[in-house]
Amino acid sequence: MRLLTHNILSSNIKGVTNGFPLGIEVEKVVEKQVEINHDFLRNIFPKIDWKAFSDASKIMGYVELPEEAPEPSVLDSDLDFLRKFHHALLELHLEEGALVCPQTGRKFPVNKGIPNMLLHEDEV
Amino acid sequence: MHSIPCNFSVFGYPVISSSMKEIKVKDASTLCTLLPDGEPHIQQSVFVGEEQRSSSISVKSTPELEKKYVHCVYDAIAPHFSSTRFAKWPKVSAFLESLPTGSLILDAGCGNGKYLGLNSSCYFIGCDISAPLIKICADKGHEVLVADAVNLPYRTNFGDAAISIAVLHHLSTENRRKKAIEELVRVIKKGGLVLITVWAVEQEDKSLLTKWTPLTEKYVEEWIGPGSPRVRGPSAFTLESIPETEENGLGGHTKDSRENTENMHQSMCLTPENKDDSLVSKDGSNQQEYFVPWHLPYHRAEVSGASAGALANGLAKKDDKKGAVVYNRYYHVFGEGELERLVSGMDNAVIIDKFYDKSNWCIILEKTLLGLKHLQDKDTSPSLI
Repeated sequence: MRLLTHNILSSNIKGVTNGFPLGIEVEKVVEKQVEINHDFLRNIFPKIDWKAFSDASKIMGYVELPEEAPEPSVLDSDLDFLRKFHHALLELHLEEGALVCPQTGRKFPVNKGIPNMLLHEDEV
Repeated sequence: MHSIPCNFSVFGYPVISSSMKEIKVKDASTLCTLLPDGEPHIQQSVFVGEEQRSSSISVKSTPELEKKYVHCVYDAIAPHFSSTRFAKWPKVSAFLESLPTGSLILDAGCGNGKYLGLNSSCYFIGCDISAPLIKICADKGHEVLVADAVNLPYRTNFGDAAISIAVLHHLSTENRRKKAIEELVRVIKKGGLVLITVWAVEQEDKSLLTKWTPLTEKYVEEWIGPGSPRVRGPSAFTLESIPETEENGLGGHTKDSRENTENMHQSMCLTPENKDDSLVSKDGSNQQEYFVPWHLPYHRAEVSGASAGALANGLAKKDDKKGAVVYNRYYHVFGEGELERLVSGMDNAVIIDKFYDKSNWCIILEKTLLGLKHLQDKDTSPSLI
């Protein structure tokens, strides 16, 4: 699971009013390089909840991101930032661990990089 | 509208009590190891007096029919199914290629991930309820998760576009189909597009439709129309195995997963009398609920291992002549105008295209209002159309 996905995921358990962001329990993180897509990064940047993203990247062991989101223009002017953004967003994978509902504490397992977000009968 | 409790069984009378116990098990995977006494029957009975369930059954709760005849089946056939799913439907490809560079595209019910990454300038996140299928996607390097299309675990307004390709016809109630569409629209931004395709009642090859096994009685909650709950007598219809010719899983989109049959079992085909919004298909019947067989070759069945349980439970049958385990997949095929009708009540989506192509009804929606939990800050900007 990449941090891009973590940024879109939200706990949808019945009764949960704020299921975002999910907590992260790390057992295994893997880095996999992928080509930079500048258009995509420009498009996705405004959608990202920066605090959740920055916190999550620290949990995953990457501390290079700024605490505050810079201005979008930085994506075009600061190649170093672009690379860091890209790296944290798309190249860090939570292979084994769990995502945690911030309201209920319920854990959603992540195995082989795949989160299982299916709810039990009593959670829908 | 009357509801019936979830604790009914697809199987026949001798196993009602044992099934009722088993239904309480939360883990859907255990359903694949039920041990009925006899042949799979379509359960007719409605349990009287359980009306208090009507509000407590969530539309997000998976009905038995889907657990047994969609989830279990796809889990068991996943690698074989995936091997037959490679032909890309031009209409879907065209839609994906038309999306702006750098879009985030959500594929809900992505199956084996056939369309993930199709537009190399975009980023895809796929989800499916079948863990084995998602594993196949992940092995190809796609970003995927296991999730339910009726309850997407995504933040509102995040994606740029969403697709639902041959998914909604596996949902067994109108409310669940509506909910799945609402979810697709919810998770994308205002101005974003959704493409939905579903199998049509109006099949180009009409002989195909008559060769599927119709579900002759409906026992799912909302199919029990207004009025007192009905208790049907012991007149269960038996699903006998349909002798079939070839497995036609290869080739173009229309042929995907549709099995040709030699002789159709003469199951009694009652017209459902209590469906308020029933549609008349071209052959004059109201029949839209079907079991469509899938032949899993023995060597594949042995590898997956799930078939032993399915055979023991009556969820699947052996066809020695063909050397395959035969599963049935549940479909609600859509009639003309049905997708539009499902969307008509939505206040945050408009139809920008609708078409019929290769025996599928298709629709493209555009999201027009910001999705909001509470309607205080309703977006007052004009619709984009």
